[in-house]
Amino acid sequence: MQRIFTLLKQRLFGQSRPSMSSEELRTDFTRRYAHFRNLLTANNNALQAMAELEKVYYGGGSYRMAFVRSKISTILINVYKMISDILAMSDGKYADLETTFEKISNELDKIVARKHDFVQGPLILTLDKVRRSDRDQAGEKMANLGEINALQGIVVPLGFVITASATRHFLTTEHIAEINRLLQVFDSEDLDDLYKTCEEMQKIVMDAPLPPDLEELLHAHFNRLETESHSASRVAMRSSALGEDTAGVSFAGLYSTFLNVEKHEIGDLYKKVIASKYGPRAIAYRRMRGYRHEDIEMCVGCLVMVDALVSGVIYSRDPGEQESEVMRINATAGIARGVVDGTTVTDLFLVGREKPFPVVFSEIRQSQDSGKEQLSGSASLTYSQIRKLAETALQLEIHFGQPQDVEWSYDHQGVLYILQSRPIAATPAGTKEKSRSMQKVAVPGESVEKPLLFGGISASGGIASGEVFLVDSDKDMREFPRGAVLVLRHPLPEWAPLLGRATAVIAENGTEAGHLATVAREFGIPALFSLPGAMSVLTSGQTITVNSSGRAIYQGRREELLRQNVAKRDIMAGSPVQRIVTEALQYITPLNLNDPTSSHFRSNWCETLHDITRFCHEKSVSEMFNYGKEHRFDKGTAKRLVGEVPLEWWVIDLADGFRQGLDSGSKMVRIEDIVSLPMQAIWRGISAFPWEGPPPISARGFGEIIFQSTMRPDLDPSVASNMATKNYFLISKNFCNLSVRLGYHYAMIEAYLSDLLTESYVTFRFKGGAADMRRKAVRARLLADILKRYDFRVELRSDALLARVKKQPVEYLEQRLEILGYLITHSRQLDMVMTQPHAVEQYREKFLKDIEEMLSLKESTIGESVHE
Amino acid sequence: MNEFCVLVVDDEDEFREMTSKILTKRGLIVMSAESGEKALEILEHKRIDVVLLDVKMPGMDGIETLRQIRSLKPLVEVLLLTGHASVESGIEGMKLGAFDYLMKPIETDPLLEKLEEAYEKKRLHQEKIDQALLKKHMSMPL
Repeated sequence: MQRIFTLLKQRLFGQSRPSMSSEELRTDFTRRYAHFRNLLTANNNALQAMAELEKVYYGGGSYRMAFVRSKISTILINVYKMISDILAMSDGKYADLETTFEKISNELDKIVARKHDFVQGPLILTLDKVRRSDRDQAGEKMANLGEINALQGIVVPLGFVITASATRHFLTTEHIAEINRLLQVFDSEDLDDLYKTCEEMQKIVMDAPLPPDLEELLHAHFNRLETESHSASRVAMRSSALGEDTAGVSFAGLYSTFLNVEKHEIGDLYKKVIASKYGPRAIAYRRMRGYRHEDIEMCVGCLVMVDALVSGVIYSRDPGEQESEVMRINATAGIARGVVDGTTVTDLFLVGREKPFPVVFSEIRQSQDSGKEQLSGSASLTYSQIRKLAETALQLEIHFGQPQDVEWSYDHQGVLYILQSRPIAATPAGTKEKSRSMQKVAVPGESVEKPLLFGGISASGGIASGEVFLVDSDKDMREFPRGAVLVLRHPLPEWAPLLGRATAVIAENGTEAGHLATVAREFGIPALFSLPGAMSVLTSGQTITVNSSGRAIYQGRREELLRQNVAKRDIMAGSPVQRIVTEALQYITPLNLNDPTSSHFRSNWCETLHDITRFCHEKSVSEMFNYGKEHRFDKGTAKRLVGEVPLEWWVIDLADGFRQGLDSGSKMVRIEDIVSLPMQAIWRGISAFPWEGPPPISARGFGEIIFQSTMRPDLDPSVASNMATKNYFLISKNFCNLSVRLGYHYAMIEAYLSDLLTESYVTFRFKGGAADMRRKAVRARLLADILKRYDFRVELRSDALLARVKKQPVEYLEQRLEILGYLITHSRQLDMVMTQPHAVEQYREKFLKDIEEMLSLKESTIGESVHE
Repeated sequence: MNEFCVLVVDDEDEFREMTSKILTKRGLIVMSAESGEKALEILEHKRIDVVLLDVKMPGMDGIETLRQIRSLKPLVEVLLLTGHASVESGIEGMKLGAFDYLMKPIETDPLLEKLEEAYEKKRLHQEKIDQALLKKHMSMPL
């Protein structure tokens, strides 16, 4: 018999550890509890930083590398802390988390710290040798110009490029390090600081001496240009940055260009062009578009000045309109600078894109403005000049495979020079639509119909429509139809697998920082959280439209809203910083460990930092939860609860569960000496209603119990085994673990109540009881039904029941504890009657009635009745 | 609030002076050092409870300084501070036993809170050691 008892004890309480004295127990509990709290804090911090990183990444706004680096550091450090804490709590279980973490943090470090590989080349390249493939040395602009130079029938000015290798020769690592330091410390929000820092950085460049070999080469090439062009003794010096390879990112006009540069100025102006990389506008623009300064390298083109009669810009498609069938030419007398700057009044020509390139519209503004004598019809360009321009622009568009923005000059001999050609910076599609929709979205009252629900937290933006499907159990989860709107009470990570099938998610609780919010953003589906009443207002099968960005839910399918759901233009699209975040997120946010009950919920299945946080969090709760289960304590140190108290209850104080000033030597404690919030709540439930004697039982039921009792003497209420009669509370002010054997069943309640929602929980385990397995299962199911009504998440495996609520306010959890207190006390009556279906129903009704009555009573009243 | 002694280590004069001023105003005893070497020298001779240590410094960097502090004065708690350190150095610091890691710029209240937590840890640690020593002395025959 002793053997059976030991076996049973092991089954119920897990492997016994050596008994601890109450002082040891207290110390150990305090230590674990400190780790638990640290872990929860670190978990919050890590998830918060992940959410912030994702929010900027998916938000379409602009963010800086410094932000990315600091968020990734925060995530890594907090995940590291979580791992240390879980290892300490679990006595070193899950050590492979460290290996996984090590691997991930190495990868992230590589991604974040990645540098460009620069190839050292010649300091100077002549333009006729430069092709597109030379952009690593010549920069975008000059590489393109070299490419154009090689095209049949197109003329570009003679010139050469001072390469990226030359820049690196000029600015040494010390200069760069000093510039880096300045860039990293300044406050980008503060304009004064920006200007001050830019001045300092530019001074560093200007003060750096030009290496003698570079200076010598510059002069030699200048001389060569002079000889070859026969006339020119002046050049234009143009920036040609490297790394601006993204369509839609223009970098137009950020860097300096100098015209009419004479030989003696070339060195100084070269430095000035290089220094323009550190101008305020260039820095602000790069930051906004996701470029780090090390992503951009400056090269400088030196081109012979064209003796321009008329100059301007031609767009091979008018950029003002989508899919425009006309080209646009802006022209002005002399050099093109004013056209590009937008400072000069220009003549405008709109020209058909098909031969013979008819001028469909022209506006001659130059002559009126300047009053100068103009050629034929006072326009700045003749028709044949216009046609030649149009042909050339089309040739460039075909060559580069996309519409081009071309800078040009006609010289006095009538030769057309191309000075620059680059892709047109596209205007965002549907810009107007978007701003209109934004307005509409912001004011829900403006819609024809009022929303069904309004408010909450937009955890993932967007608009979608579908049929509602309420999910509150695993069964619901299996039945979830593809394309439905998922409606939840709590956005728990366990529901994540549904997001692949859902068109939108709504939850009554939760925030944008939760796991499910992360997954929703990853899937790009709208998620509206923290919307109280969603589960009751919405019904399964109802068609709704969710506007998460506008925080509103409408009845039916709202086409006009759905049309507004234009994809956001991403300002950082394709930028180096965005690429870094894209790669880094792969190691951070995907969540593979959704289901704690799955056999894959193991430390060696963690692939991302999110997995690790999820795993550590889950395990920390169970380490805390199992505390009472896995730690045997010296029962001699417990105090007996005395007073008007049925049965034997023993209390062990782990930290601050007794009122101050209580005689610590006393072997007894009264309920009013206890200040543990969760224990008080449980006790209110236990003592809310008087105990009723066991009801009459059917002959068969009685026989069964007799039989079971002979098999397991510890279950016989008449045999006083120490397990059957003593019930232990382990308490602190906020914590309570109650293991209880009432009659034939074993139950455990554990709770931690805190003002911090994320660390609060109530857990209830119930198992066993007299009578056969079928009746045990019926009883467990009855309890499960009742608990589900009160929002417990319930897992039921035959007669073993596990019910949990977490992340709820203290009063809410106190009520749950009262319910549990009531149920463990009164469900013992069920032991005898479980074979009679009508009796089960009767009890269900009685229990629910009692619970409602208990909860409707003022807490103070119940509290007083306990004390009396 | 308990009075305890903080050593601020940062090569940036402005930051060091500002922080020292603020912390002194809040009732802490503050010393400062502009380099890792100087910090170790102070630690050798003065009673310091918590070190606020910038990671990125010329010469002996914060991580190396931390390493030396841990072997020289294992009881002293170190709070790492950085504006732009690499991702790696944060973890490195935690592994070497830094109390925590803060990002610049930092506001006064969170900084103060962290410093107090670090001091509390040091104090408890010290207490435990004192008690153990006491026990040992008591059990020893005269």
